[in-house]
Amino acid sequence: MKRILSILALALACASSLAAAEAPVAQIQAMLAKPEQLCGRFEQTKRLAGMKKPLASNGRFCVVAGKGVLWRTLKPFPDTLRLKRDEIVHLQGDRVAMRLDASQEPTVRMINGVLFSLLGGDLGQLGSLFEVDASVVKESWTVALKAKNAALARAVGAIVLEGGAYVRRIEMVEDSGDRTEIRFSDIKTGPGAILPEEAAQL
Amino acid sequence: MNRVLTQRRLALAWAFIVCLLLGHNAWLWLDQRITPDTDILALLPLDKRDPVLQQSFTHMVDSAQQRVVVLVGAPDWQAAGRAADAYQRVLAPHGSVLAFDAIGEASQADWLASLQPHATLLVGGSQARQLQDEPARFWVDAALARLYNAFSGPKLGAFRDDPFGLFAGWAQERAGETPVRPRDGRLFVAGAGREYVLLTYTLQQSAFSLKAQDAAVPLLDGAADAARRAAPGADIISAGVVLHAAAAGRQASAEIHTIGVGSLAGIVLLTWLTFRSLRPIGLTLLAIGVGFLGALSVCWLLFGQIHLLTLVFGASLIGVAQDYGIYFLCHRLRADPALDSARLLRRLLPGLGLTLLAAVIGYMGLALTPFPGLRHMALFSALGLVFAWLTVVCWFPALISGSTLRAGPLARSYRHMVPHWPRLSSRPLSLVLGLALLALSIGGWSRLTTNDDIRSLQSSPAALVQDQIKLSKLLDAPSPVQYYLVRGDSSEQVLQREEALKKRLDPLIQAGHIAGYQALSNWVPSKQAQAARLALLESRLLAADGPLAMLARAIGEDPGWATTTAQHLRRHAAPMRVEDFLRSAAAEPWRHLWLGQVDDGAHKTHASIVALRGLRYASLPQLARAADGLAGVQWVDKVGGISALLGSYRATMGWVVLAAYAVVFAALLPRYRARTWRVLAPTALASVLTLALLGFSGQHLQLFHVLALMLLLGVGVDYGIFMQESAAHGDDAPWLAVALSAASTILSFGLLALSGTPALHAFGLTMLVGAALVWLLAPCFSVMKEMNHDSPVLA
Repeated sequence: MKRILSILALALACASSLAAAEAPVAQIQAMLAKPEQLCGRFEQTKRLAGMKKPLASNGRFCVVAGKGVLWRTLKPFPDTLRLKRDEIVHLQGDRVAMRLDASQEPTVRMINGVLFSLLGGDLGQLGSLFEVDASVVKESWTVALKAKNAALARAVGAIVLEGGAYVRRIEMVEDSGDRTEIRFSDIKTGPGAILPEEAAQL
Repeated sequence: MNRVLTQRRLALAWAFIVCLLLGHNAWLWLDQRITPDTDILALLPLDKRDPVLQQSFTHMVDSAQQRVVVLVGAPDWQAAGRAADAYQRVLAPHGSVLAFDAIGEASQADWLASLQPHATLLVGGSQARQLQDEPARFWVDAALARLYNAFSGPKLGAFRDDPFGLFAGWAQERAGETPVRPRDGRLFVAGAGREYVLLTYTLQQSAFSLKAQDAAVPLLDGAADAARRAAPGADIISAGVVLHAAAAGRQASAEIHTIGVGSLAGIVLLTWLTFRSLRPIGLTLLAIGVGFLGALSVCWLLFGQIHLLTLVFGASLIGVAQDYGIYFLCHRLRADPALDSARLLRRLLPGLGLTLLAAVIGYMGLALTPFPGLRHMALFSALGLVFAWLTVVCWFPALISGSTLRAGPLARSYRHMVPHWPRLSSRPLSLVLGLALLALSIGGWSRLTTNDDIRSLQSSPAALVQDQIKLSKLLDAPSPVQYYLVRGDSSEQVLQREEALKKRLDPLIQAGHIAGYQALSNWVPSKQAQAARLALLESRLLAADGPLAMLARAIGEDPGWATTTAQHLRRHAAPMRVEDFLRSAAAEPWRHLWLGQVDDGAHKTHASIVALRGLRYASLPQLARAADGLAGVQWVDKVGGISALLGSYRATMGWVVLAAYAVVFAALLPRYRARTWRVLAPTALASVLTLALLGFSGQHLQLFHVLALMLLLGVGVDYGIFMQESAAHGDDAPWLAVALSAASTILSFGLLALSGTPALHAFGLTMLVGAALVWLLAPCFSVMKEMNHDSPVLA
């Protein structure tokens, strides 16, 4: 029980993890831009065990240093996830479908810490949880993550990240057979990157 | 001559016995290296009436007693980790003292696997309610959100294993039962702006063995220092029975020194000032020493152990054991030097014998209590007195001759006070004073309140208690002494009864009386509940036109997908059995809640514990009521139970004291006839006044006050007897004996009143006030020959 949530938490967190191997990691670290604000589009494709059709969704995401992450699914239906330092809030329209805060679920801070550092381009902490296999070819890099902990491996499976100045693609293959692929595009940085309605929500 | 010969034989026989005692003690301390027991629980009565209840208590306590729990905290996780590493490094080489409880990697991995076959059956409380109430659309939306959003909520396994997030919700609810989480291979707790690493150690020897305490406590202190060096400002919170036991042990050891040494120093000084000779000191110490060693030997032979508190209490024995020697010495001082010591002793023997008898009766009152520790104390003290008494009787005449002693300054000046002491009479002033005392008594008694709460007897250092509170807040650990005991004829019945109880507890959580509960039925529903849940799932989610089919349409899958998924879910609804669950790794933190089959004497019973988190003391009555009318459910409040027991023994002991007065009166009657009341009156009056003073000073009356009154009877009667004997023989030696004895008793028991152990403090305070009053009152009731016809004046 006490382990469950952390497994879940890490599963979530590592859905888009970057990792640290010695030399290539330093290179990747140098290649990644570390903007104050980072917004863009994502396209997600899920191929789930037992389903014939892939499930496609897309939307926008924003990372604002010191504030948090906004993950807005726009299609097939709007659905927003907001991560701040001490809470995770899941909004369906205006309804709060789920709220986890650090006082009831201490791992929230952990999950969010990992996510922030990932999307903000800070590759500090994942080496302790994952075996990292990184390679750099010209302007692009690829990182393969394998959880050191068996339980975590079981929950998140294998993760592959690709990118350049920003993360461009994340793929997760779970032991259960479910696969998730997320592609990022149209990435903007700087003060104008975040839309007014997004700034209001964050 | 014959008498001298008898006396010599006696002395030799006693010398032989004392040699045996010395040998036995040398063997015990030097060869066996015995160490006194420091388990405070040994002072508590054994509850043998209900084996299941008893076992549930041992179960809860045993799982906690040997554990040392440490939280190493810092403002950030990295610093906390550094501090924890430093902490662990110090303790790592000492696994034979404190073994680290590593968190199993393997068990982390497969605990989920063991639940997977039953995943469909596991639905959390709030979602079970939603299943009843929410429309199909709600469930379709929930599933769609899980489908499309990357981080839409906790997820265990593939989507089709848990499309509606029920198992995940259940798992989250279970996770909520403790705030402890694994993180980077450590256990993690957060609170009060800090992040903590949780480390648990298991003590390899009993937490109550002095050896374990001596080894573990410095190690833990050293580890805490190392942690603070590694991360300055690190917060180290530790808790464990061993820490409390060690603190209690330290306190008791220190008190043995202060009380024992202080008492001895007082007696030495008094004796010297009275007799101006070192020999009486040596002789008094000899009598006390033989008494102490003899009591220890016999107690060890009888019980095979000795409690440290027994020794602390035994230190007060010094105050009583000296009475016999002092009585003899004072008479020797006053008697004609030509009078042979053996003959003098023969004259004193009836009085001496009665004082011993009365004191032993007093101590035996303690032996009537159901507390094993107090029985040991009573026997230890009674034996010590008998040995000291025999030493006086057998040896003193041979060791002290008529010319040994000279009166010191104290003896001379005190003697001058004797004739001026007020005496009881029928004069008006006397009556007025009597009435004033009566009024005082009534006033004091009316203010007397009682408090038998066992927690008021706790004396752990404030810092330890503070740590304990902080730690249980951070860990949100359940109370080990208040819980529900659930019984049934089968494990199924136990689970059903737990579920009935939980229905009553849910509103109490809402009302804030408790934060939550831990129960095996949270993990393994009863067969009845499993069947009901499956039926609910079938009708609300899996029906042909239900949410699952609607979901298939929404994502463009054919109806076959819904059918296959429903079957997939049904396959993961294998019936759960407690026995199987208990064998799995997931059950490890909860195994202590399941007592399983317990032999109840008459028949086999199945039993379990429902533990409560975040319990408020003010809510105990509501919690006790929650069990009302539920078959097989019993509210257990060990703290309340012991407190109630202490209360009933306080009341019983009150009657025992009164009965003891009657017995002592009967024992004294043949010798003192019409004067017998004068022997007992000072003690009785002193007891009444002591209680009144306790009432005025705002003390809450508890068992240990009453026990002291019992002992006061034992010592007080000594003084009464001494005074009446003096009346019979017409000399003033007993005056001196009473003064010396009372002063020493006050010194030793006065120091007991300084004890940090509340029980001993209460005991000591009562003795202090009581003995002083008996000393002052005893002469008032004496009859002096020359004053018999003189109508003495009071005041």
